[in-house]
Amino acid sequence: MFLLDMHCHSVASDDARATVEQYLRWIQVLRGRGYQVDSIVLTEHRRFDGAADYTPLARRYGVVVLKGSEVDTRWGHFLVYGVTDALLRAVDFTDVQMDARRLMEEARRHGAMAIPAHPGRFGIGLVEFLARGAEVPDLEIIEVLNGGSRRGENERAEALLRERHLKGIAGSDAHFVSTIATCLTAFPHPIHSEGELVEALRAGEFRPLRLEETAPTPLRNTTK
Amino acid sequence: MRSFADVHLGDTIGPVEHTFTTEGVRAFCTLWGQTGESRFTSEEVARREGLPGPIVPGIMSMAVLSRLLTDWADGGSLRLLDVIFRQPVPHHQPLRLVGTVTDLRPEGGQGVVEVDVFLERADGERLVTGKALLAVPLDAG
Repeated sequence: MFLLDMHCHSVASDDARATVEQYLRWIQVLRGRGYQVDSIVLTEHRRFDGAADYTPLARRYGVVVLKGSEVDTRWGHFLVYGVTDALLRAVDFTDVQMDARRLMEEARRHGAMAIPAHPGRFGIGLVEFLARGAEVPDLEIIEVLNGGSRRGENERAEALLRERHLKGIAGSDAHFVSTIATCLTAFPHPIHSEGELVEALRAGEFRPLRLEETAPTPLRNTTK
Repeated sequence: MRSFADVHLGDTIGPVEHTFTTEGVRAFCTLWGQTGESRFTSEEVARREGLPGPIVPGIMSMAVLSRLLTDWADGGSLRLLDVIFRQPVPHHQPLRLVGTVTDLRPEGGQGVVEVDVFLERADGERLVTGKALLAVPLDAG
């Protein structure tokens, strides 16, 4: 089993407070407590930094660091995996009013994948827009478990998943160091690149889970 | 006095239980110079503004988080508290203040401790999240 946090933000996002190295160091703390975390996908808000190279950090800490993006659309936020230069030319990631269906189509056309993030979020999640008549017939995967969700939001995503027979991924939506990897997506085989991640998503063999499910004992309390 | 050598990555600060009372919020607002009825002190004003009830001022939430940190630092100083208000903080609800040490570095003859701080409900749902920097002596001697 290979466990990825599919959704997190570093200081490259406007509202996050953690550096990539701090996340990777924190994952060592989690591993020391018996939890399994193999990889993170940086999904910075409305941007994709193709030039950023996290290979040395990834090697030093033994964590696979992949890059994606979280973009805003008229129907809520979407996570984009497998971003390519061609996709960046086709879609303006800074456009907060972009058409969600066009994003999904363009992503598919360019070998990437766009997945609704926290669809159960009150006010801005896809569930709200579907209730108002939005149609997304080609919806196959949603982020069903989001670590930043308020009470009831993951439950709304879960209901959408069941109702439409979708598949679900999970991510922490971390903006702070200690919130990385609270929710993870389990894949049957290791993933080493963004291309492999898209292939694994297309294969459909994955499941969402919480960090606590990856260790036999509850989080150790180190209160001083 | 807490020293840098006593602090480790992953240490937990708290949790400390805390309930904001309307009386406490009124006292805070008076000290702050906000004496009139407001969404912080009046059920009626709060409801008129679309809130379910009176809420705790953001700087009061920051104040109790600061106290959590400075009590723990025990002689150290708070250099930065940068918070995000995720949800309104209600009166008369049992809440929890908690911090986690996320980074450590010596800097300018002191130890700098980076902490994630949270004001959360009893069920763990977070109302205020933040990051703090504390400076503590490198050694207690």
